[in-house]
Amino acid sequence: MNVLLLALTLSAQPQLTTIPEMWDAWCARCHAQDGSGKLDEPTVTVEPMDFTDCKITSPEPDADWERAIAKGGPGVGLSPQMPAFEDSLTAAQIAGFVSHMRGFCKETGWPSGNTNFPRPLVTEKAFPENEFLILPAISHEREVTLTALYERRLGKRSMVEIGIPFHNDGVRDVEIAFKHAVHSNEVRIVSLGLETVVSRDTAVFEPFISAGAMLGDWYLQGQVKVELPVDRKKADRAFVYNAYLGRDTSQAPNTWTLGVELNGENHEISLTPQVRKGLTGTGALAASIGAMVPLNEREERGVRWVGYLLWEFLEPLRARR
Amino acid sequence: MGRLLALGILGTLACASIASAQTGSITGTITTAAKGAAPLRITIDQKICGNELPDEAIVVDAQGRLANAVVILTGVKRPSTAETLVMNEKCRFAPRVQLARPNATVRTTSKDAVLHTTQAQLANGRTIFNVALPVPGINITKPIGGAGMVRLTCNTHPWMRGWVIVTDEAAAISGADGKFSIDNVPPGTYELRAWHEGLKGAPQKITVAAGKSTEISFALK
Repeated sequence: MNVLLLALTLSAQPQLTTIPEMWDAWCARCHAQDGSGKLDEPTVTVEPMDFTDCKITSPEPDADWERAIAKGGPGVGLSPQMPAFEDSLTAAQIAGFVSHMRGFCKETGWPSGNTNFPRPLVTEKAFPENEFLILPAISHEREVTLTALYERRLGKRSMVEIGIPFHNDGVRDVEIAFKHAVHSNEVRIVSLGLETVVSRDTAVFEPFISAGAMLGDWYLQGQVKVELPVDRKKADRAFVYNAYLGRDTSQAPNTWTLGVELNGENHEISLTPQVRKGLTGTGALAASIGAMVPLNEREERGVRWVGYLLWEFLEPLRARR
Repeated sequence: MGRLLALGILGTLACASIASAQTGSITGTITTAAKGAAPLRITIDQKICGNELPDEAIVVDAQGRLANAVVILTGVKRPSTAETLVMNEKCRFAPRVQLARPNATVRTTSKDAVLHTTQAQLANGRTIFNVALPVPGINITKPIGGAGMVRLTCNTHPWMRGWVIVTDEAAAISGADGKFSIDNVPPGTYELRAWHEGLKGAPQKITVAAGKSTEISFALK
């Protein structure tokens, strides 16, 4: 802070005291005054992100944007043409720029990116995503399931999902789901959803509620759902509950996230310690692995290994120079 | 006490004299037939940068003597960790070409009341650092990394160019008169190569004798 105050004192230019003034004098040189990144005479060869597009401005947490300003583009796997400001701005000023940048999205109703928590292995995340996932699972009897999952955001707060699990003996069922964020603020999000699993034998409707919250540096996520088969002779009703607690080991988008889940289905309870890692500097690719350890009926159920490989397909995988 | 001090000074002078007698030096001039370009017309930040700036890609005088060329003497190491200062002044890097030792630090600062950035890149395009200098007087120090020709650019003023030549070998930069000199060279035969941001020349062999100055010239194309 002292550095900046000294520099401002030395400066011959009119003193810039507010974040909008600083944005116009500095950031607008590349990002444009309106945040669109569109300039008649571009200063950088990489086109800056359009911050007026809420799909770009809203879905990532403040920490990612703050890191981009502090460390420059490479801090979040993006272009090195975005310089680092950590030696010339205070943390409060950097936070002010993030808030100003988010303000270029003029629409209301977009859930805050601060509630876009890391995806647990089992618990359904409340935040609507644009992702493609491969989810392998291996049971204690060596039965392998590979589920392909496509998630697509609809509008500001909704998401559809199609999943196809491939078993040792082929495809038995297809999962289709819809969820909608009914409540969100800067630290909390709640979604309601309906998943439908369609097999040759019957269909199972699975209404659920998912929620996530920040507790200090910890992510707390939970989900409750009931499984209601159309034909109760072919499938049983079930009550499913999942809770996740985890935290990042650093602020980088490709950091390690350590977590543990409590997973229950009727009277069966498991504990699932897990680790997640962003595989690119942008965090657009990520992988997670964990072990579902039964807490009861251990001999019958055994340990189940679960994981995912995730691709946020609207995010850049790597930076352009 | 006074005698001891006098003896010490005499001893130091004697050692320096013996050292220079045991080494030689290289002096020379760098020339080119290439011509400098017309001044750049500036269309942004004219209050700070002016309406016109010299194009310093080739700085050559009427006699063809070339400034900002670097000569590097292969085989003579010059260990040092001295800091290199990159000054942003009137929307130019001043000076345009500088030397730095591997793993030394570079300090960048600005005298201009306008946002500058200092982006340091290797020839392969990899960025070593890119830091913002939004107001004058901020000093930012960064490691420059291993040997190589590091290009400096400013994201907000596309014409700004600077170079930091990172080498642990004896090196010198030609002045406005095209002249350069390298002192304290142990006797022997070496290869001397010349580098310029836009011109090229073949390396030359040079033999340095103790207590003598050896003259050499480069003509870059």
